[in-house]
Amino acid sequence: MSVNPEKTLQSERFVQALHTLDQAQPFVKQLYQNNFFQEASRLMDSMDGMQMLYQYADQFDQAGVFEGGPWEDPSKLQPNLVNGSLRVDGLESVVTILSELRMLSIAKERQQHEKVTTTMAKKYLYEVMALNLDFIFPEETEQARIEQGKETERAQRLFQVIVDELSLKAISRTLIQEIKRLSIQRPIMVNRIHLMIHKGEQLLHTDVDEQDREELQQFHGAISRLTPLSQTHSEFPAYRSQLKTLSETELRQEAEAFSESMRETGLVSPYHAILVRYLNRFKPEMLPEALKLNNKGTANFEEHRPLIQELIKVAIHPPTSQSLYGLARMLERGVLSHFPVIPSLRRLIELDLQPDVRKTLLEAFPDTDGLTANDILVAGILSVLGQPLGIGQGLNPTCQSARALSLWSIHAPGHLLHLIARAARDGDIDLTFEGDRIHSRFLPGGLTPELHKELDPVSLVLVPHLDRIYAEMIRRVQFRLDDPHKWVNPAFYGEWIPRGFTKVFDHFTGNVTDFSPFVRLFYATHHPEYNEGYELIYPNPVGICVTTVHGKMLGFHAVSIQRIKKDPDGEYRIYFYNPNNDSSQNWGQGIEPAVQGHGEVEGESSLPFHEFVSRLYAFHYNPYEQGDAFAVEDSIVEKVEELARNSWGQEYHWTGKNTLG
Amino acid sequence: MGAQDTQKRIALIGWSLPIMEAADRLNRPFVVVGMPNCQDYAKKYDLPFVSWDFEKMNKQTEMEDRLKHAEELYYRLKDYGAEHAIPLFEETVEWAGALNALFKENPRHFYHSLLFRHKARMKRRALIGGLKVGVFEEGKNKNDVKRFFKSINDACLKIDNKDYEPVHIKAFDRAGAAGHRLIRSEEDIEKKLTDHNFPCLMESHLDGTEVSCEVFIRNGKILFLNITEYVVFGYSMMAPPSPEIEKKRPQIREACQQLIDAFDIDCGVIHPEFFLAEDGRINFGEVAFRVPGGHIYELIQRTYGFNAFEGHLLCCDPNTTDEELHDFFPDETKPKGHAGSLLVYPRVKYIQGLNIPETLENHPGYDRHNMFTPVERKVPDREGYGNHHGTVFFYHEDSEHVRQPLQDFVEHDFYI
Repeated sequence: MSVNPEKTLQSERFVQALHTLDQAQPFVKQLYQNNFFQEASRLMDSMDGMQMLYQYADQFDQAGVFEGGPWEDPSKLQPNLVNGSLRVDGLESVVTILSELRMLSIAKERQQHEKVTTTMAKKYLYEVMALNLDFIFPEETEQARIEQGKETERAQRLFQVIVDELSLKAISRTLIQEIKRLSIQRPIMVNRIHLMIHKGEQLLHTDVDEQDREELQQFHGAISRLTPLSQTHSEFPAYRSQLKTLSETELRQEAEAFSESMRETGLVSPYHAILVRYLNRFKPEMLPEALKLNNKGTANFEEHRPLIQELIKVAIHPPTSQSLYGLARMLERGVLSHFPVIPSLRRLIELDLQPDVRKTLLEAFPDTDGLTANDILVAGILSVLGQPLGIGQGLNPTCQSARALSLWSIHAPGHLLHLIARAARDGDIDLTFEGDRIHSRFLPGGLTPELHKELDPVSLVLVPHLDRIYAEMIRRVQFRLDDPHKWVNPAFYGEWIPRGFTKVFDHFTGNVTDFSPFVRLFYATHHPEYNEGYELIYPNPVGICVTTVHGKMLGFHAVSIQRIKKDPDGEYRIYFYNPNNDSSQNWGQGIEPAVQGHGEVEGESSLPFHEFVSRLYAFHYNPYEQGDAFAVEDSIVEKVEELARNSWGQEYHWTGKNTLG
Repeated sequence: MGAQDTQKRIALIGWSLPIMEAADRLNRPFVVVGMPNCQDYAKKYDLPFVSWDFEKMNKQTEMEDRLKHAEELYYRLKDYGAEHAIPLFEETVEWAGALNALFKENPRHFYHSLLFRHKARMKRRALIGGLKVGVFEEGKNKNDVKRFFKSINDACLKIDNKDYEPVHIKAFDRAGAAGHRLIRSEEDIEKKLTDHNFPCLMESHLDGTEVSCEVFIRNGKILFLNITEYVVFGYSMMAPPSPEIEKKRPQIREACQQLIDAFDIDCGVIHPEFFLAEDGRINFGEVAFRVPGGHIYELIQRTYGFNAFEGHLLCCDPNTTDEELHDFFPDETKPKGHAGSLLVYPRVKYIQGLNIPETLENHPGYDRHNMFTPVERKVPDREGYGNHHGTVFFYHEDSEHVRQPLQDFVEHDFYI
């Protein structure tokens, strides 16, 4: 074997840099980290080098490779950020690779970590692998080859090492679970699910379990060529002209296959849209079957048939096929029975749009020929009216606006459609706050320029306006002696929000103050056993502390309580809407919001009552509808407080009346 | 800490991790005075820390008044048992002087520190001490500059307006090249100067090769002298210098000693700059009393094999014993090789990526660099030489393998 002197020199320099870093005191690690990263990044340029890095990975934590940086605590790392980090030209991708190798050495029991067990490390890496199939199975097209930089090549090497050490089989399960976990919540935006299904397609060519293969194929079919006919005639025009040759029975079979799949997965194939358009023209009486409508939906369809046929003509196209699910759900929700909805929908079909609105909408569907911005907007409205809990904030910090859209879609569709028309046609909306009209058009700021555009059409049009108005309302009351949300929420969301408001943090000190009265008040106003039986009528926008899988404070978040009821097992649960569309995160301490299996409706998450309260920090209540706070047993309050204190509560001082001192 | 608590603590004026590391390695108890934004870091690692907003204080107070304003800081440091202050950056020199004046109950320490913070005062002192300096004056406005420019050119008999003798305009109290303007003509005075440049030092041009010295001093004598050659002024430097300059070490050493005597320096490290003229004259440029920039201490460590930050502390700390200094410094005439640093500034407004040429990485003198494509792609406007974005290090036994690339790669765009 010949020894490459240059490579030997590189390895020596790396080992020396690691040694120097290791010898440094913790407070000066950063003086030596850069040089270590430089040497490490050179090794990443060859497969041997990547292997060598893995050989030393069990020493990284000890040496202080991650000291003082965002990768320091591996228990806080999030699998879904890895793909983005690996693509960054610069230090971020280098440190990410080192961090993944560290995780691998924990998973392979080459080192022990006080916060991350072998099992946790494996689970983390399986998720990372599932989310990075594009690096595991690189596309071998010319275009991919030209576009990829050294970061891509390094990431591919990293995953070669990981795949060698861990099995590929394990990730097909993770991927399927991830697809199911997201699709079960029936989000409007399905890009992420589509992406995972496409990645999963590549696993079909490896030796995955038979059951996994079937499930992957089922999902793949749901968004593409599900039926034999669509497989043999995969060009859209060919498929459409082939439909003409089918007998009624065959058409019925085709419709059944697609509608079954849509109801099963919440995903819609573009061929399904072609079929529906065809039926709409030639066999409209078959549409309820093609959407698999329930009785209520069918009745609604029959009642408003001309309008629905018009809506299909305008809004349902292969690129907007996903709105078919929204249409079906809208009919089943009976939204068209709200008096203002029908004329408002008609108005939107022909509305003159602002040029920038038109541009935004068309840019959201780049691969379409002949679709108008109005078509896209109406398709988006069908989704929002059909899936009020499927509205998501995307990657924007606009949970407030998403909650508002969701609430209006359920309780005030007329108001919502009015706002959409105002924004799309006038470039302005206005809401009243303490007697003043606040016009979004005159307001600076908000998130408009930086709005992340992966959003449904309605959010794209409305969120920039809503966000500016919300910020303006907050600004106007920010120096009052209590939390601004107390005044802003009822004005922003509307009269449905009760005027009573309380939170656990003292407004001036930021300390957790009087936690036990807070818990008692929530029970006395919300828990059916303590609140004299008042039912929750409208969603209640509340603030929660989101925690990591280890119960550590992650940040504040806004969700809406939708319902409070006994679940099928007789336990009281809080059913809530989480605008981040990723509701089944693990919050630590065994608290894991469920999205199915406990009586949830589509898009809802749920937690046992006390577990939810342990993460709650602010809520609205109706002072005229409360029971006796003193009736709440001490043991319940203690249980909630213990969960809160041992999780997010660790970040704060606790003062005032608390059960545990 | 235990036994160390009985030792006297030194106050490090300015946030510098390498100096803190040196203090830690030397087992010297210390307290750091740094900007408020360092507080969290200090707390995380349990470093004794006093927060002091130099930027704000320097804006609010005149240089001469800082003795008075240092009292609060003095009391806070006393609580830590500090007895001596060591300045680490240009902007902290007079604060350290003020603190030492209070520690030692002798205002002279403060006024002595001002010699390093006022370029005219500095030159005058050097002139009195017999060093060779250019002709200089203090200027208050553009008219002063015009008059000075004319008088210099009159004296040099440059009366036709083609080949004027240039003059330099410098801020009294700023490090490096900040506020430095070269005036070559009357138009330059209008073009290059604004009210912000005044008051200033006006100085005739000194010809010659520029070097800096890092002079480690104890009891008024030189323990170790490093000479750094400025290969391309403001961009690249090498230590020890090329053989032609090295030949003049005895004369340079003499000039340094003269400077020490002139400034009456007992202990510490000075960082003077000299111009070596072809006729053998050594002209004094300026002198600083702090840790030098441009990675010079790293170059010293690379080639002489000792930690210059530790050397700095040992020379500055009045409690250092003779045993500690014994054998600490190596023979200054026996370096292992030549070490160089090239400071890299982006010449683009927005950085797309890095461009490290293969000819650099394959160069025999190449050692390493510390550049990654930065997170912040927008390049801030800079004043003087400002902060460099990255550094390339060179090392070789043969000075030409270091000096040549230091010259050549100044032109290269590492950030594109």
